Amino acid sequence: MNEKIVALEIDGVKIEAHEGATILEAASSAGIDIPNLCFLKGMSPYGACGVCVVEAEGSPKLLRACATPVREGMVINTKSERALKARKLAFELMMGDHDADCLGPCVLECPAHTQCQKYVKEIAEGRFADATATVMDTYPLPASIGRVCPHPCETACRRGKVESPISIAFLKAFAADTARKMGVFAPAGVIAESSCAGKKISIIGGGPAGLTAAYQLRRRGSEVTVYDQMPKMGGMLRYGIPEYRLPKAVLDEEISLISSMGVKLVNNFKIGKDAALSALRKECDALIVANGAWKSSSMGIPGEEAEGVFGGIDYLREQKRLAGRVAIVGGGNTAMDACRTAVRLGAEEVYVVYRRTRAEMPAEEIEIKEAEEEGVKFCFLRNPTEVIVEDGRVTGLSLQVMKLGQPDEKGRLRPVPVEGQVEKLPLEYVIMAIGQKNDSEGFESLKTTSRGTIATDSSMRASVAEDDGNSAPVFACGDAVNRGASIAIKAIAGANDAVDAVEAYFSGKDIPERIGTVSARESTRIDFSQYEKMPRQTPAVRDAEERKHDFSPVASIFTEEQAILEAKRCLECGCHDYSECKLIRYAKMLKTDCTRFRGEFHPGENERHLVAIERNQRKCIACNLCVRVCEEKAKKGLLGLVGRGFTTVIKPEFNNSEAIAGCAECNMCTLACPTGALRLLK
Amino acid sequence: MLKIVVGMGSCGIAAGAQRVKEALDSLSDDVGITGCVGACYLEPIVDLYDGKELKKRLVRVTPEDAPKIVSASSTGDFKSVEELVISDEDASFLTSQTRIALRNCGVIDPESLESYRSVGGYKALEKVFTLSPEDVISEVKTSSLAGRGGAGFPTWFKWNAARAAKGEKKYLICNADEGDPGAFMDRAVIESDPHSLIEGMLIAAYAIGASEAFVYVRAEYPLAIVRLQKAIRDAEAAGLLGENILGSGFSCSLRIKAGAGAFVCGEETSLIESLEGNRGMPRLKPPFPAERGYKNSPSNINNVETFANVAWIILNGGKAFAALGTENSKGTKVFALTGKIRRGGLVEIPMGLTLREVIFGIGGGVRGSAKFKAVQLGGPSGGCIPESLLDTRIDYRELAATGAIMGSGGMVVMDDTTCMVNMAKFFLEFTAKESCGKCVHCRIGTKRLHETLTRITEGKGKEGDVEMLEELCRGIKDGALCGLGQTAPNPVLTTIRYFRDEYEAHIKEKKCPAGECVSLRKFAILPDKCKRCSACARKCPAGAISGSAKEPYVIDEVKCIGCGVCEKTCRFGAVVRK
Repeated sequence: MNEKIVALEIDGVKIEAHEGATILEAASSAGIDIPNLCFLKGMSPYGACGVCVVEAEGSPKLLRACATPVREGMVINTKSERALKARKLAFELMMGDHDADCLGPCVLECPAHTQCQKYVKEIAEGRFADATATVMDTYPLPASIGRVCPHPCETACRRGKVESPISIAFLKAFAADTARKMGVFAPAGVIAESSCAGKKISIIGGGPAGLTAAYQLRRRGSEVTVYDQMPKMGGMLRYGIPEYRLPKAVLDEEISLISSMGVKLVNNFKIGKDAALSALRKECDALIVANGAWKSSSMGIPGEEAEGVFGGIDYLREQKRLAGRVAIVGGGNTAMDACRTAVRLGAEEVYVVYRRTRAEMPAEEIEIKEAEEEGVKFCFLRNPTEVIVEDGRVTGLSLQVMKLGQPDEKGRLRPVPVEGQVEKLPLEYVIMAIGQKNDSEGFESLKTTSRGTIATDSSMRASVAEDDGNSAPVFACGDAVNRGASIAIKAIAGANDAVDAVEAYFSGKDIPERIGTVSARESTRIDFSQYEKMPRQTPAVRDAEERKHDFSPVASIFTEEQAILEAKRCLECGCHDYSECKLIRYAKMLKTDCTRFRGEFHPGENERHLVAIERNQRKCIACNLCVRVCEEKAKKGLLGLVGRGFTTVIKPEFNNSEAIAGCAECNMCTLACPTGALRLLK
Repeated sequence: MLKIVVGMGSCGIAAGAQRVKEALDSLSDDVGITGCVGACYLEPIVDLYDGKELKKRLVRVTPEDAPKIVSASSTGDFKSVEELVISDEDASFLTSQTRIALRNCGVIDPESLESYRSVGGYKALEKVFTLSPEDVISEVKTSSLAGRGGAGFPTWFKWNAARAAKGEKKYLICNADEGDPGAFMDRAVIESDPHSLIEGMLIAAYAIGASEAFVYVRAEYPLAIVRLQKAIRDAEAAGLLGENILGSGFSCSLRIKAGAGAFVCGEETSLIESLEGNRGMPRLKPPFPAERGYKNSPSNINNVETFANVAWIILNGGKAFAALGTENSKGTKVFALTGKIRRGGLVEIPMGLTLREVIFGIGGGVRGSAKFKAVQLGGPSGGCIPESLLDTRIDYRELAATGAIMGSGGMVVMDDTTCMVNMAKFFLEFTAKESCGKCVHCRIGTKRLHETLTRITEGKGKEGDVEMLEELCRGIKDGALCGLGQTAPNPVLTTIRYFRDEYEAHIKEKKCPAGECVSLRKFAILPDKCKRCSACARKCPAGAISGSAKEPYVIDEVKCIGCGVCEKTCRFGAVVRK
């Protein structure tokens, strides 16, 4: 390096650098990160990717920072509008030609973005404790959620296009149960250097959202207290999910782990009765409301106030024995839980009344099937118009016959009444399982949405009426906010968002994007016929005649052998290099639109030319680093560019597959690769 | 006895000059050859010389004309060949030019050193050896000669930089990788006057202090290579090349490197990579070749036409050269006038003439009955200029202001049957294929431009496409690594600038105003004109036409692919465009 020092300015910072150093080097030594992909320290500059372009005063052209030496008096702007535009275009062009997945569809579709692919792989490798720890990074209830989650991950799973999706949820339950049996069920590691450390945080509601928030904040060193109105923690997992789906002993163990971390759990505590919200706010640094949606929606038809009419979740909570004929109105999972509970509690006849058909039911298919097996009768295309009442008691339902009409905005076919066709269903009980609402009692000071839910802004903050400005800020998440009640994993996702928001509140920084920009492959471009069909493993299910008389679990958990077989079916869609990839890191930073310049993709598939190295041409950005490293550093020169223009790809030199015989598997190329195009095979 | 000389450039040979020469050879022992005179549309051309004086120029000659020509040459009676003699109008195509670079083309025998010497060849080299290298550079500076390859960079500046650069060994390179579609100026110079290139290069080598020189010529120019090889051998034998040239103490070797036909190798740093045996891909600049070029040594690269001017400048003085042209652009420029032009070929004119003077004056305007629409200058790196700007002068700055460039000399004339979107698509298909694949902006960007243009010509254009094209074009120009990528968007930008309405017609009305885009063409048969001959139905490749002797034929629009075969087939004018 030249000893002479030159002075220059980069982004308004005056710096000194050795003469002969590049702008990139000078910026980097001043802590200014200029994006770069085809550059590698110690290699001669190449200038292909064009993402390091910067603007220099007096220079008509943009300069490539990786190749341009500094000069005395230079005034560089690395973030000028022109430089950013050219840089962003380079990323848009590269991402538009990137026919590959950053993350598997399972991870993308999970509301909490649980690292499904990672823990499935760990299970495939027999590392059950590691798999549990992976889930525990996102939330503390793996065994419970594994049993009850309607698993959007599996709906998205690409293995479904081969034969059937990976049984991701049950794999998770298996791993967590195994970890508990092994005595290695533990919280995920402490998150150091958090702005939440030492902060006193109160959480209202001990359901999946509240418990997750408590757990994540405790990992960050906060002093957390969870208040819940019910005698025990767990929220809807305990009081809304029947025992045969989620044994409460499992839930108890997961809750006791949270408690063992030092989270204070306070039950039988109702806001507005035991303490006012405003009082709680005075005693903590931040408050999270996650009180759920505990009121059943009513049908709004005559007679629904009669004796013998119950709300779905009220019924599930109270578990009343109903002797006689029972109709459950609704088609979701709550309706299924209610009808199967009614069967188990000895009802004579159990009907499910739903205004659309089986195909439109929001409940999981397996729930519907098992309910049928247990003797539940389904009345499709029927809409209750009146509860028939005699002497203040239910005696039946009037049902309007429906047919399917035009699709609604979600694409679901809309039911329309068939003129003049009304039926009567004689009954003793009616259970309304058509939705649930939050109870605003005690929370009147919080601003609500038109649905009556607590309104939160993009930083999960609820606005408090007549805020004195001296009390703790209120964050809210879970079923109680915005769009209202949904599945548990969504509440968990909201809790994690709330924790990030609290962290940002204390640190004063921006809330990080949870996923941001990612590359996603279109499934239509994948040839699924190349995969050998391997049947999905299913855990043993008890016979309907046996199970319908008790509340023991319907399905058992996978055996170890089953779990490993099942996990090995994973196609591993997500990229192995996602966390290390420079391409996506910068693409995220620049908020790149990956589909703006989408067109034909450059040619090439996954190639295993070398014994030990796999090249995924679809992920290659032709930065040529592997070629240059092989030649300049490894002194082998086994690789080269083949083709011209858009079809340029990297292959063994002169496309001669024999050229690779000289490969010493030094791994320099895979380490140099800025994306996940190269991978050392084990 | 007149000397018979056959024009044996590639253009002449393609038109049948070889067979003409063979026929003449069988009747006469004294048939000479010459290169391309530039009037390619008149080939094969046979000249009859009395000593050095051109007596008659015969055009569009066939082998059957040989006996008449031989007899005329011996008798001096031209009656029998009268219909072959060039018309005054065609002769003006040549006489209205000002020839410096092409001064010997079609005049001397390109395969004879003597022939070159007889017109003053190598006199400039002799003169140069009496001057200092600095004086030579100064003379070139006086001439204001600028790089004729396209960029128009002052030649003296490059020479001076290479001369000033530190390095034990220096190299001189001639860029003869002429790659623009429709451009063939350099080919003509090498094929017709190879020694003037060698002489120009030797003068440059002397000026910068180079001892090794290369001509990088594309392998698609076999005749040029053969003639240049012979010229090099002859020059070496005559002591004009090699050690101690003409006893001056100056030594320089010259070699030919045949390029494999990659367009990007016309870019100087890619050319150097290729010369070194690597894949033709551009290097980062700086360092410029003058500092670190071939084998990391100081190197100077000029194109063929630039070198072809040098000997003339030395002999006639830089002032004489600079007396021609405009304030910003001196001397002459050679253009390859092609496309829908009445008189196509090579045209050398002083800078400062207007495009209209070249196209409508020398070129005679558009061929046939169609109307002039635009002219593309500079090939795929250049841009189109519409009728309204035809009075623009041929001048580096004035042409650049239109969005086009001077370029290396391609001048493609288009009439109103040319679709400008389709034309832009053609050029982008070329650059997308010829991109070396190194930088992202060019490799992927030109591909996306081509895809979008294709979509538009197929009637699948979307609202906002034009704006997207403009943004992408500007981004590619800013981000691409070398001249290829930085100029590739020019045809798109200039067609949008001058013919935006054509883009919009394709996108909004799904119509191609020029009627060229096949996917957007619709035909119909006029029932009263249809004679029910069934010719169109039999030729239709899509089976879209039906009818009978009783019923007029009709076209099924769903089946029709817009190829237009029916329109060409119908002798009664019954097939019309909708």
